[in-house]
Amino acid sequence: MRIVEIIVSPLLALVVGIFFLGLARKIMARIHWRYGPPLVQPLIDMIRLFYQKGVSHGRMFDLGIILSLAGSIVVVLFLPFGQMCPLSSSGGLLVILYMMLLAPLGLALSGGQGGNPNISIGISRKLILSLGYEAPLLLVLLAVMTRYKTISIVEVVNAQQSTSWSIISFPLFLSGLSYFLILPAILGIRPFDVSSAPQEISSGPMAEYGGKYLALAKIEHAFVLFISIALFVNLFLGGAANIVSFFMKMLAVFVLGLCVNAVFPRFRTEQAVKYLWKWPTLLAFVGLIITIAIRS
Amino acid sequence: MDRNQITKWLKAPAKMANKYSLHAVYFCTGCGIIEVPPVITSRWDAERFGVVPVATPRQANLFLITGYVSVKTLRAIIRTYEQMPEPKYTVGFGSCPVNGGMYWDSYNTIKHLDKYIPIDGWIAGCMPRPEAIFIAVTHLWTLIDKDMANAYIRYRKNYKSYRRNQELALGKLEWPPLFPVGDESQGNEQ
Amino acid sequence: MINSLRQKLEATFKDIRIAIPEESRIVVTAENDGVPAILRYLKDLGLDHLALISAVDWIEENCLELCFILTSYMQNDDEVTGRQKLHIILKTSIPREKPKFKTVIGIFPNAEPYEREIHELFGIKFEGHPRLTPLLLEREYQIPPFRKDFDTRKYVKEVFDKIPSVEIEEK
Repeated sequence: MRIVEIIVSPLLALVVGIFFLGLARKIMARIHWRYGPPLVQPLIDMIRLFYQKGVSHGRMFDLGIILSLAGSIVVVLFLPFGQMCPLSSSGGLLVILYMMLLAPLGLALSGGQGGNPNISIGISRKLILSLGYEAPLLLVLLAVMTRYKTISIVEVVNAQQSTSWSIISFPLFLSGLSYFLILPAILGIRPFDVSSAPQEISSGPMAEYGGKYLALAKIEHAFVLFISIALFVNLFLGGAANIVSFFMKMLAVFVLGLCVNAVFPRFRTEQAVKYLWKWPTLLAFVGLIITIAIRS
Repeated sequence: MDRNQITKWLKAPAKMANKYSLHAVYFCTGCGIIEVPPVITSRWDAERFGVVPVATPRQANLFLITGYVSVKTLRAIIRTYEQMPEPKYTVGFGSCPVNGGMYWDSYNTIKHLDKYIPIDGWIAGCMPRPEAIFIAVTHLWTLIDKDMANAYIRYRKNYKSYRRNQELALGKLEWPPLFPVGDESQGNEQ
Repeated sequence: MINSLRQKLEATFKDIRIAIPEESRIVVTAENDGVPAILRYLKDLGLDHLALISAVDWIEENCLELCFILTSYMQNDDEVTGRQKLHIILKTSIPREKPKFKTVIGIFPNAEPYEREIHELFGIKFEGHPRLTPLLLEREYQIPPFRKDFDTRKYVKEVFDKIPSVEIEEK
């Protein structure tokens, strides 16, 4: 049974991720008062990219993107998706926090061998941005772990199913608000998409990817999208008892994020970090203090 | 089913994917580029055809040469074209790549782009309307269906003639030949 | 303002000719050697923006004419420029065989790209210029392209039309 779950869970995450990518283009087009591409457009793009003969720059260039994709797939195995969670008894939140950093690391490794300076600029921006959102994210996760006295996400979900959603419960609504404010930065959508800015640094880390490498990078983006939203839904919106309602909650959060993406321009890197370290960090810090104070 | 039909059935997803996802390099040359931003934004939406501008030639499929080509621009165009992954399609936009257009007697523009880069199709006009771009895209779909959009195969087969023409127009080229030219007098260019 | 400028110039420099073709435009014609002194004088007076250096090819009179266009920003509140924008064209002729001129980079440092462009298009050599390499053109030309005896259609027929089309190999 567990083997089946281990195989099915990343596939389901991939399907949901690709559907979200297609939905993103369609909804943004409708917000802009135009028709958009069909919903299966990311799938057509990936098929076309797999048929193109991309250029490789060396052994590390090939292996870096595979490392980042592997890291994202492994994180999916630790997240509960409805009732399904393959590796629920080993680690939980701490492991996820650790493994989520493999994705930009893989891109950085492969970008080191592609000879384009735009890649280095994109990677440095991405790492500075992750420095910006890791601080409030850590405080939020500490508050959640202190409140529910556990590091396993499955127990957090079960606790919320019996009482109420974390985001409206007393000491954690501050942390929930703070996580909601930094969610665009984790997803990498506007106004925080400094790392892959097509107009400024010609797509940042993906500047030298063509053919199958770009297809793998897009698949990795789909996985990161899934992971970030699923973590938020599990920790603060109560998880779900079955897959369909989980998916509905993810859809609601994603559409809210898309409305922000369609309207805002892009921050500069220092403006983004200044925003992330001001109000969200303050809210998360106050939430953590209150949670520790009323622990007993 | 005989072998032909099986091959056709196996190649169908490739053709469908190449048709409906044409990513164009955002290479803004000449005066024709003023017609492209209205096409890719809300009024004449090109994204419903699958045509989207991308920032680098490594991710692109379609090369739109919009406007007159001076000698310096030809150098950049050849470098960009050789970086794109195959299969790739080129479209000459406007009357200047066709036969020189308004600059037919200028000392610094090249007149027939087909001698230096292989071209799949031309769009006539000075400047063409955005609807002409959509008609060109649907024509390109028909050509891809019939296996007639093979400019990149022509480039590979006749690379010697293209390279000779490029050297006649530009003088010394500082990049080595993309496909083996088989000429010992080239020397070792690095 | 124009008239006071005219009187100042006529008082300071000998052998220049001044004409006022229309309102608030003044054309000064000078000799080759006097140009740096006039430029320095005008710059101290408040016209410190070198807008353009251009050249004209008078093929009948067998000379090339260099034109320096200086303007003043409107904020300069001298008693000469006042609160209006002034515009001076300073012209000087140089002979057509082996033309050369002394560079004005010492007075206006932003003259560097203009002098490069004029060198490649007209063939005028500027002595003292640090970097006189081609700016816009890539090929070599026997006669500089902007001169009136350069036949552009003949050039196109000889160079670009002679490049053959690509022979397509039959499969």
